[in-house]
Amino acid sequence: MAEEQGIETVHCTVNGMAVEVPKGTRMIDAAAHVGSDVPHYCYHPGLSAPAQCRLCLVEVEGSPKLLPACVTVVQEGNVIRTESEAALEARKAVLEFLLVNHPLDCPVCDQSGECKLQDYVSAEGPAMGRLADAKRIVGVDDFGGDVLFNGDRCVMCTRCVRFMREVAQDERLGVVQRGSRAVIDTFFDDGLDGNIWADNVVDICPVGALVSKDFLHRARAWDLDRTPSICPNCSQGCNITLQVRDNEVMRLKPRPNDAVNGHWMCDVGRLDYQWINRKGRIEAPLVREGDRFVPMSWSDTLPRLVDAVRALSSQRGGAVVSPFLSNEDLGAARRVMEAVGGGRSVYRVETGESVVLPGFPQLALREDRAANVRGSQLFGFERVGDGCATGGLEAVDNAEFLLVAGDDLEDAPADFGSGARLFIYIGQLLNPAARNAHFVLPATTFAEMEGTFTNVNDHVQRFWPALRPPGMARPVWQILGVLLSGLNGSPAPARPADAFALLGAARPEFGQLRFEDLGATGNPLSGAATAPAGS
Amino acid sequence: MAYPYQHPSEVRVLSEYFGDPEARTLKGWEARGGYKALRKALGMSPADIVNEVKTSGLRGRGGAGFPTGVKWSFMPKEPTRQHYLVCNADESEPGTFKDRELIRWTPHQLIEGCLIGAYAIRATHCYIYIRGEFFEPAQILAKAIEEAYAAGYAGKDVMGSGQELHVTLHLGAGAYICGEETAMMNSIEGRRGEPRVKPPFPAVAGVFGKPTTINNVETLCSVTHIVNNGGEWYRQWGTEKSTGTKLFCVSGHVRRPGNYEVPMGFNFREFIHDICGGPHEGREVRAVIPGGSSVPMMSADDLDVGMDYEAFVSVGTMLGAGSVIVMDDTADIVKQVRRMVEFYAHESCGQCSQCREGTAWATKILRRIERGGGTEADLTTLVDISNNMAGKTICVLSDAAAAPILSSIGKFRGDYQARFQLEEKLMPARRA
Amino acid sequence: MGDGGVQKNPGFAGITGDFNLTEAEVRGTDYVGQRPLDGGHPAVAGTMPYQVPPKAVDGPIFVGPFEERLEKVLTRYEDRRGALLPALGIAHEARGYLSPEAMEEVAERLQLAPAYVRGVATFYTMYNLRPVGRHLIQVCTNISCNLCGGEDVLQAFLQATGTGMGEVSADGQFTVIEVECLGACGFPTVVQINDRFFENVQPADAGRILEELR
Repeated sequence: MAEEQGIETVHCTVNGMAVEVPKGTRMIDAAAHVGSDVPHYCYHPGLSAPAQCRLCLVEVEGSPKLLPACVTVVQEGNVIRTESEAALEARKAVLEFLLVNHPLDCPVCDQSGECKLQDYVSAEGPAMGRLADAKRIVGVDDFGGDVLFNGDRCVMCTRCVRFMREVAQDERLGVVQRGSRAVIDTFFDDGLDGNIWADNVVDICPVGALVSKDFLHRARAWDLDRTPSICPNCSQGCNITLQVRDNEVMRLKPRPNDAVNGHWMCDVGRLDYQWINRKGRIEAPLVREGDRFVPMSWSDTLPRLVDAVRALSSQRGGAVVSPFLSNEDLGAARRVMEAVGGGRSVYRVETGESVVLPGFPQLALREDRAANVRGSQLFGFERVGDGCATGGLEAVDNAEFLLVAGDDLEDAPADFGSGARLFIYIGQLLNPAARNAHFVLPATTFAEMEGTFTNVNDHVQRFWPALRPPGMARPVWQILGVLLSGLNGSPAPARPADAFALLGAARPEFGQLRFEDLGATGNPLSGAATAPAGS
Repeated sequence: MAYPYQHPSEVRVLSEYFGDPEARTLKGWEARGGYKALRKALGMSPADIVNEVKTSGLRGRGGAGFPTGVKWSFMPKEPTRQHYLVCNADESEPGTFKDRELIRWTPHQLIEGCLIGAYAIRATHCYIYIRGEFFEPAQILAKAIEEAYAAGYAGKDVMGSGQELHVTLHLGAGAYICGEETAMMNSIEGRRGEPRVKPPFPAVAGVFGKPTTINNVETLCSVTHIVNNGGEWYRQWGTEKSTGTKLFCVSGHVRRPGNYEVPMGFNFREFIHDICGGPHEGREVRAVIPGGSSVPMMSADDLDVGMDYEAFVSVGTMLGAGSVIVMDDTADIVKQVRRMVEFYAHESCGQCSQCREGTAWATKILRRIERGGGTEADLTTLVDISNNMAGKTICVLSDAAAAPILSSIGKFRGDYQARFQLEEKLMPARRA
Repeated sequence: MGDGGVQKNPGFAGITGDFNLTEAEVRGTDYVGQRPLDGGHPAVAGTMPYQVPPKAVDGPIFVGPFEERLEKVLTRYEDRRGALLPALGIAHEARGYLSPEAMEEVAERLQLAPAYVRGVATFYTMYNLRPVGRHLIQVCTNISCNLCGGEDVLQAFLQATGTGMGEVSADGQFTVIEVECLGACGFPTVVQINDRFFENVQPADAGRILEELR
């Protein structure tokens, strides 16, 4: 298959299975092709391979010694055995060595449950340790930033050192001392503070040596539900998993995607998740009757909403959306605005300094600190306000039809929207300005729904629901879809895929993508790349 | 006058001027025929020098015994990049002290060898990596290098030949592992002295990523004489596969420890009992380590063997760097093995799991056995640790650490068991 | 092993045996003397001339002849990193040990990360990471010396200086440490004191050697 694409290939067998791989493939990757995970610590696909943990030793016919699969390149005709007696013996021995000084404090270790030492030892390690002497004690060191070092658990794979050297290119970690006295350390009291990529060392640490202070002792790994998602905190759109316990996001972890974030994400995005867990949400549709809001069911609310919009004859429209809305939400908002005759449609976004990851420069903490700024632009929304996502609301001051979706109006004047003949507020929080609305409709956050974002480089990526929405909250596209259906008789989209399929009407580029094809890592929006992308 | 001893059975090619302070100076060295070989070499093509060294059968004197001419022939023939020669003067294998004598008595012999070697592999720069503890030899060598530059033997235009050859003296800073060639390259580049994974081999990507050859001090010194007298001349000594003469450094329990230069294949028993004066009065040789602490021990019964690469292998050990350590019947084998393994634990770079943890763990067990707290199970564990380390790591330090453990448990198991009995006597309750 | 029947080796704990060479001739001091502070020829400028006693000096290290020496050293390597060991050597010579500040200065000079420099400095055992006595007494107890009583020599020095291993004596004169093979195994026990090797040292020699150093 690969030959057809003009790539030179070599053939080998791994555990008796014939494999054809591109020339230059490492044995560890060739083994992965046939579903053989060769245990390893120092090897990481995003870093250089020093072949020093010596755990991935495999037997290769014709080689007198076992070879490290992480650096040995497959040669034509290699017969590789990853599960041979010699390979298993060697791995068992390495695991026994690594346990010599390991504290076996799994019950209090955050890594427990997702620890590679635990996994490998339980799979193929020695049943009993033979150490009859005292263990080496290193202790705990605060590395600064979000990183806490438990030296006793360290297996000296040096992934963290290599990450800081090769990827962050800010060599703040080093191996200090040598032999069994070697430990990972910073330069004396200079920690990792100030480097926004430092928490990646926690992710790549195969054991519990580097742990997150933010996550420390907050949840056990096996209690977490992991949902693929997109980091909402800037327009880079790093692929992540939302890790949730008891309907509360506990942490964000990067998910590999070579086209977007490699294996990495920044600490700014990673640690800013508390807002997803915000309490005090609007839980039911509220319809104003006179001076008060009446909570209603959706089936009572939506017909009233359609009627209210229909009742407007000629109107000056105005919309305020949030760049945290999904493409589907924004597309629906755009179509609503078109249906009511247009008007100024704006969004506001917080901005900050851009920080590039030097060793993987396509990844940066972007200036625009919201996930779907690019989507907002593509669907014809105009940026207003300042870098704190405040101000600029005067753009819709004279709107008679006012739609606010996602923007929580925290800074809006108390009389905001009071002049509108119809003010629809779809959001999560009931701030004072939102109380001027005629309809207050509870919306889900991205974490509670399925949908897509468009990142700064026009990469369209899916996310999945990780949390149960509060009360009756619904995605914006669903609410507006019913409204549109009431206005023009078209069927309302029932599923996110349906909502996505409607996007082509507003932006033809989206018509070329299929929701199902986006998969876990998304697809580029062809043709749109020429359009000016916001940074 | 040799230093510190000499013996009529010696064949003194390299060590002829040991104990002759005048041979240190450029004038003195020239008067003794110095730098003739360099002049001759510059009149030859690099390939001719490589062939001459191949003919001589000279093998690396640092321990591995790889044929020097063959090693040189791995270097690219048409240099498109800078090539480097590195002279390994990191002599730190316990029991080895020959390079120190070569450097401090005949520094120009080494410089000449370095210049010839660099020319032969088409390098214009040679680093001499000398261990940091050798302040005194380094000062002597530094002075000699300055003299060589001043006399035009080194520099941009060596002896008017138009050939550029530089020598730089680089001091180590206390790391045994830097004697391993790839660790040495890292150390020269200003990195931690951690061995590199091979491939790439040094002849492809060595110092600063450039093609590099690393040779021991004694090897390069021998080259000087081979160029002067021809490869065939060198073959007059030694065996078919181990040619020439070699410096053997003898330490431990003999009457006359020191450096002795004998032809390869010399009878080992005669060497120890005659040249080195044998054991002290009333003592018996019990164990001998023939090639530095990294090679397996021999018991006194195996001494009737030739002192060459093949013969030592045939009795289960290695020639190594020719560092003979003799232990007589007063030696505490368990303690000495503990001390050797402690050394390897101290010197392990810490990259590979097996070596980092294994050497330290073995040390703990050996210390306990030495104190009298050992059991038969500990010997099994020690053997397992050794077998699990050896041959599985980036470099051979773990193999070196395994050698004394395995050979001593194999040959002197009773010494260990005697310690268990000690414990039984002292603490019978604990064993029950 | 300390029994009377054993013939001592010639060497330089004051025993020259039956040699007609002076100690200076063997050690070559008459030939080289001390190397200049600016390092002399660039080919050898990376060579530490001597391990000097710790000095309480403030301010930058790489000034005057030390800076000159570093500049010379830099000409001998392809990149600035290559000069790291010599640069640490110069800093060590100027200050007697490598303080965090010294490592930082070296890092800055060579455009390296301080943490990297610390990693390298701690890898090599000859860089003192804290101040030591004016005389750093390093006793080899590895196998060849050990067979001939190295551990007794170590104890003798510890007793004679009244210090524990690695401690600085009360008068700031001495620090005694145990080291690995010094590469002079034919002359046991070998003791390196600053830049100088003392060979064939017997436990009884310790007191006399310390007197000589004072």
